[in-house]
Formats: sequence, C-alpha cells, structure tokens
Amino acid sequence: MTNKEIYVLSAKQISIQQPLSEEWMNNPTLYEPAFYRSIDPSFKEYVSPIEARRMGKILKRALATSKEALKASGLETVDAIVTGTGYGCIENTEFFLDALSKEGEQLLKPTYFMQSTHNTISSLIAIQTKNHGYNATYAHKGISFDSALYDAYLQFRLNKISSALVGGHDEMTETFYQILKKGGVIGFDNEICGEAAVSVVLSDKQENALCKLSGHKIIHQQGIESLKEKVAKFLQGNGKTCSDIDFILTGISGYKENDEAYMLETKALFGDRPLLKYKNLFGDSFTASGIGFYVAAQCLKSGFVPRNMFVNEKDITDKKPDNFLIFNRSDGTNYSLTLLEK
Amino acid sequence: MTAPIYITGCGVVSAIGLNQKESLETLMGEHSGVGQLTYLKTEHKEFPVGEVKLSDAEMRNRLGISDNAITTRTALMGMLALDEALKQAEITPEMLPEIGFISGTTVGGMDMSEQFYLDYINNDAHKEYISVHDCGNCSEMTAKHFGDFAFVTTLSTACSSAANAIILGANMIRCGEAEIVIVGGSECITKFHLNGFNSLMILDTKPCRPFDATRNGLNLGEGAAYLVLESEKSAKKRNVKIQAVLSGYGNACDAFHQTASSPDGEGAYRAMKEALEIAGVKTTEVDYINAHGTGTPNNDVSESQAMMRLFGNNIPPASSTKPFTGHTTSASGSIEAVFCILALQNGFLPVNLNYSQAMDDGIIPVHQSTKKDLKHILCNAFGFGGNDSSLLLSKFEQK
Amino acid sequence: MDELIYKLKQEIIEALNLEDMTPEDIDENASLFGEGLGLDSIDALELIVLMEKNYGIKLQDPNQGKEIFKSVKVMAEFIQQNRTK
Repeated sequence: MTNKEIYVLSAKQISIQQPLSEEWMNNPTLYEPAFYRSIDPSFKEYVSPIEARRMGKILKRALATSKEALKASGLETVDAIVTGTGYGCIENTEFFLDALSKEGEQLLKPTYFMQSTHNTISSLIAIQTKNHGYNATYAHKGISFDSALYDAYLQFRLNKISSALVGGHDEMTETFYQILKKGGVIGFDNEICGEAAVSVVLSDKQENALCKLSGHKIIHQQGIESLKEKVAKFLQGNGKTCSDIDFILTGISGYKENDEAYMLETKALFGDRPLLKYKNLFGDSFTASGIGFYVAAQCLKSGFVPRNMFVNEKDITDKKPDNFLIFNRSDGTNYSLTLLEK
Repeated sequence: MTAPIYITGCGVVSAIGLNQKESLETLMGEHSGVGQLTYLKTEHKEFPVGEVKLSDAEMRNRLGISDNAITTRTALMGMLALDEALKQAEITPEMLPEIGFISGTTVGGMDMSEQFYLDYINNDAHKEYISVHDCGNCSEMTAKHFGDFAFVTTLSTACSSAANAIILGANMIRCGEAEIVIVGGSECITKFHLNGFNSLMILDTKPCRPFDATRNGLNLGEGAAYLVLESEKSAKKRNVKIQAVLSGYGNACDAFHQTASSPDGEGAYRAMKEALEIAGVKTTEVDYINAHGTGTPNNDVSESQAMMRLFGNNIPPASSTKPFTGHTTSASGSIEAVFCILALQNGFLPVNLNYSQAMDDGIIPVHQSTKKDLKHILCNAFGFGGNDSSLLLSKFEQK
Repeated sequence: MDELIYKLKQEIIEALNLEDMTPEDIDENASLFGEGLGLDSIDALELIVLMEKNYGIKLQDPNQGKEIFKSVKVMAEFIQQNRTK
C-alpha cells in the first residue's frame, strides 16, 4: 500500500446544463420540476457518422465527455477505465424489450441487444481509445458512479494504477421515465429529473489539477448511530474534524421526503456546517453523484461557489472553498463520502 | 508477492446442483445439466439450456420467503448460493455489519420486466415489480435476506461480472477496507438475452462443444455462486477452515469489438499474465486452466491463441465446464471458480464434455477423466466488449 | 430491378441507422463491407433480419451472407430469385 496522492485532472459533463462547459456557474439554465433530456453537443467531432450508427445517446455522450476529459487532462492514455451506470443503456434496452413484447421472439435486431448491456460504455471507450488496461462497470442505483470511483481509488492505493478515467453515465427515455415514475423509483413531486454523463480523469501527478481526491468511502445503511461512527472515522482518517470542512455538498433536490431526511442526517452528522446543493441545477439521475463530484471539482478550481447552490441563505459566502465533502444519500440505503481538497 | 487472500466459504447453484456436494458429484460423474427448456417461457424450445432445476416458487419455499413477496429469479438463486457460502465460512448474522457483499449481474430483474413490460406501459398491474428491474436491486435483495452488510455494490461487465466482483473484493481486503468480503454473481436465463444471443446467431441447437472442430455456438445456462474472501489475520483469528487461496487475478480489455474477441486473444492473454504475475507463479506451475470456452467459433480460437502465446508449447491441461452448466453468463466467473476449488480439493481435472475432434488453431481440451494433484488453477471469464478477467486459485497448504 | 435496388438501399439505410446517408450515396456495385460502405459482422446480422422480415428469405448460416452481401446489386439479384414475399 502506498500513500500516493490522487489528483483530479479534469472533469467534463453533458447534462441539462450547457454541455461540456462551466457556463452553469455564472449563467445557469433554470428549470421547473419535470423530466428533461440532456442538452447534447454535436457529436461529429467525437465519432464519425458511420461509427455512430449503432450508438444510443448514452454512448455518444460517454465518448464525448471521455475524449474531452482525456484531452483536458493532458494524458495520452490511462491505466484504467471504470464506469458507473445505474440503469445502463436504457434506450436500446427499451427498443429490444418493446420489440420482444410487441412483435414476439422472431426477427429481433442484434444491434439493440448488443448495445443494451451496461458494460458497453466502458468497453466502447476502450475500443475507441485503444486501451487494453483495467476495465470495469458498476450498476448499483445511486452509488454507481461512487462504486466506480471506489474501485479506482483502491487501485491507486495499491499502486496498481497511476491514472484512471472514471465515468458516470445514465440516460432516460420518456417511456422509461413514465415506467419508473409509476414504480416509485424516480419522478417525484417538486423534483427536476434529468440525465447525466460525467467523465473525470484521476492521476497521481499534480500538474494542472482541478483538486485533490483525499478520501472516498461507501457505506451501506445500518442506522444513524453507525453512520455517525463511520463519518467520524472517515474524517479522522483524513486528518480532519467536522469544523475543517468548508462545505457539505448534498443531494437535496426539492423532493420533500428526500430533503427532510438529508436535513436530519446532515444535522446529526455535521452539525451546522454549510450545506450546498446541485440537483436544483442539474436535476436528479442515477448518476447525480457524478455530477456532484464534477461540481465540487469545478468550484474548487474556480475558487467560488455559485449562490444558487447554498441550501440556507445564512451560509452564503464569497469565501474561496478549500475543501468539499460530498455526502451522497441513495434512497436511504447507500451512502457515500467523498473528500475533495484544493 | 502480496499477502494471500483466503477463501473460507463457497456456495454454488447451477444446472448441475444446488450446492457444492451435488456439483462435485455431477462433475466427477460427468453428467451434463444441459437439457430441454423447462422453466423459462419462450418460443425458442429448439435451444438446449442449463436451467437450475427449481421453479421460483420452489426456491422461495426453500428460503422461507412468502409467496407474495416480490422476488426475481436472479436474487433467489443468489440467496441459495449465499446461504451455503455463509454456512461454510461460519458467518453469523451478527458479523454481517462488518462484511462487504459484491455481486455481479447483467440481467438483474429482467425476468420480471420482460413479463410485465406491456403492463408497465399500459396499466398499473404488476407495477410493484418495476423497482426490481435494475442490477443493483438484485444485489440488495439478495443481501437483505441475510441482514445488514457494511457495503453492497454490483459489478456489471456481462459474462465476466462475477470474476470482477472477486477482484474488487480482493482489492478491498488488500487495502484494509474489510477483513471479509463476499463476492460472486448470479444470473437467471431470460427471454431477453436468450433472444439477444439468438439474434447474434451464437446459440447452438445441439449441446455445446467447446474447443471442438464442430462447435457451433453456446448453450445458455443460469446459476449463482459466492466466495467468502478473508484476510489471513481474520481467518486465523476465527480459526475457520481455509478452502483455497485466491493468489492472483487480472483484468484487461481486449478493446477489439463489442461482441467478438480479437484473433490473437490480446485481452485474455493480458488478464492471465497479470494473474500469474501478481501471484509470482510461473507458467510452468499452472496445473489446470478452466477456460471461458463458450463453444462459439470465435471465443475458442481467440482463447486458444491467448493460451499459446502465454504458455508456448507447454499449455497446461485445460477444459471448459460449460457443457455441464451451459454458459451461466454473469455468474460464470464465480460458479467456475467454485468448480476449480472443488478440483483443487479433490484432485481431479474436470472433463470438457462433448469433445470429439480437434479444431484448427486450438487447444486440445481434457476429455478423459483424470485424477491429479493440483496446486494452481487459472480460471477465465470473458465478457462482451472484451472485458476479460482471469483468477488464479491455489490449494491451501498449512505452513 | 432498379426499383428493387432503390428500395433496398432505403431499407438498408433504415435498418443500419445510417442517419446521414441517402440512397444516392450508395453505389450499388460497391462492396458493402470493408473498403466500400465499411459495414461489419453485426450489420451482416441486421441484413439477415432485413431479408427475412421484408422478403421472407431465411439464412441459417451467417457465412452465407458473405456472398450475398457483396454489393447492393448482388443482394437485390439474390432477393429477386429467392423472395417468398
């Protein structure tokens, strides 16, 4: 094991905000609670039309954010490609399920099937960037991106890798949005529901880094007391006390039940440390925590926190942030803690 | 060389048995579990499959789960396997809050989604099944049946999912993030991927024949298996019996094509090489390779090439156990790892059933039952997209 | 024949999702795979589905496609001789 430092060299997103840009920090696009699909850039730059012929939206977005993140990192190649996706390639899954259900079990299109599996994303990036390194995909609800990050984080600590491309990618179709809403999975009152594609490049080299990844932990729910203990241990392990944390970045979204739980738990865990939110700008998605990571990294780099991210008015400050603790709560079942520092 | 990762418990469910004992008897007795389709409702009766010989209701009954409960077949098979693994490793519910659980699956709750999809769109019938569609839900459902784990996540790298779950678990232990992590995978056959594989024209209407000149595709199978990975310190402290050692593992990407393997088996070669390097084991020390060996023309050539590149003229005995179980897709990495552990413990080489005639540019698999003392076994699992992983399983020897 | 070739081009564009192409862009004598249009083995499977769906021709062995899918013209000739619908 090594105590190798891990730096975030780049972070790129395609979401309901302007794609591949940090325009949202000064001039965000604002939304009313509802479901919105991402604002897509032109993909021609990232993939030729003939190559794109079989790709769903999620794959094109993953290629665009990955290629941009790699370019911005200055690295030619990475040692590992790890992706998190809560629901995977929904669009092609829907096409195949739909044909199977309506047209029966004959004459189904192979393209829909082969582009429906979750690992298509990571492997496509590997094929396109000719990368034979470590390659894996996680699909675990709202901690899919966190799991991918965790995998890379462990391998840095074991000195198995010195760079990684970590992604979080989820798309949502109108049909699946309606289905999942019916099932009580997404689409809650007063909440913006979006899509998200995030790619970040991590490295043990500091040059031009956005920030440092100091710690990362995933916790499975076992009650608030156990959570308290684990949060305390996490902070201690990173040489921090609660008061050292500048901002707690939460997944407060506008949905009452979620927000009340967040308020109660953050109070118990972090007292009155200033709380921030980002889902009011980017919406919720299974990859929202990846957006949270991107947001925190960009705020640390640019040295300011947009005012519309503050949960409580009293906390609004122009202070340059030194660190962010991303506190991700997925259905009250899974939690993750990510400490990013300047 | 790094600190060893011990395996202190296993559980396995597949077409050849509902536990290790039944699996061992069937492997040694050379009886295939592949046969005519019984449980899955599909038009495609022409394809032989390796189904687990229990209905969902029978599994619920064995597990003491009420018939009204919302379950998926993948989770139910997972619970059966996890139960056996926990018992063998002497893990009690009070210990779970310190233990991680990592499962691999790709279809998740698709068995339910494909039955009720039109209802989901058109009405409210069966809407309680919507939330069990995703992969993560299967792992949560499997874990929840036993209690509260410290950590739960899901790998989804198609047919290497379970192997990659094993790799993450090993890395967690090596980082000191946990003393015990339970790893593996589960996957039921669904109409969705049976039709998907059929659309890719890689299913054989006859029993599959890996590494045979006449091979013409794979048979689908299903099942689940979990391994209890444990640090040396914890295993000693608990004084639990050590079943085998996970001494190496490798993951690489073929980076060639979404559904085909490269002609030179680059990903497979790198994965196997890395597994040996981590362990500090030489190619000449490998006693057996449990090949991915699906029986598709493409896989078996590519995997053979990778073995030839790595082992030169001294390729160890190798076989595919998929003619026994069918291709258990996401679960194959852990199911076959358990078979390897049974082979290590009982000193035999599993036979490559249905083999008759050597293929061009390929290996000749083990086709006669052989008793042999085994120390190191490589176990391969490759997925679509070139997600290739290899595990090195070794016999535990008391120092 | 010309009519069938044109229709087939439209069907290929749709089945393979060649978004930015028109029938005029496809040379009926050019190779569909490799150098020409640059299609691959998965496209071949899609073309097999297309032939069965639209013309009632069932290919059992994907290798048969190699000859038939040489060019749009060859494919059209094969369809004309073997179609059942």
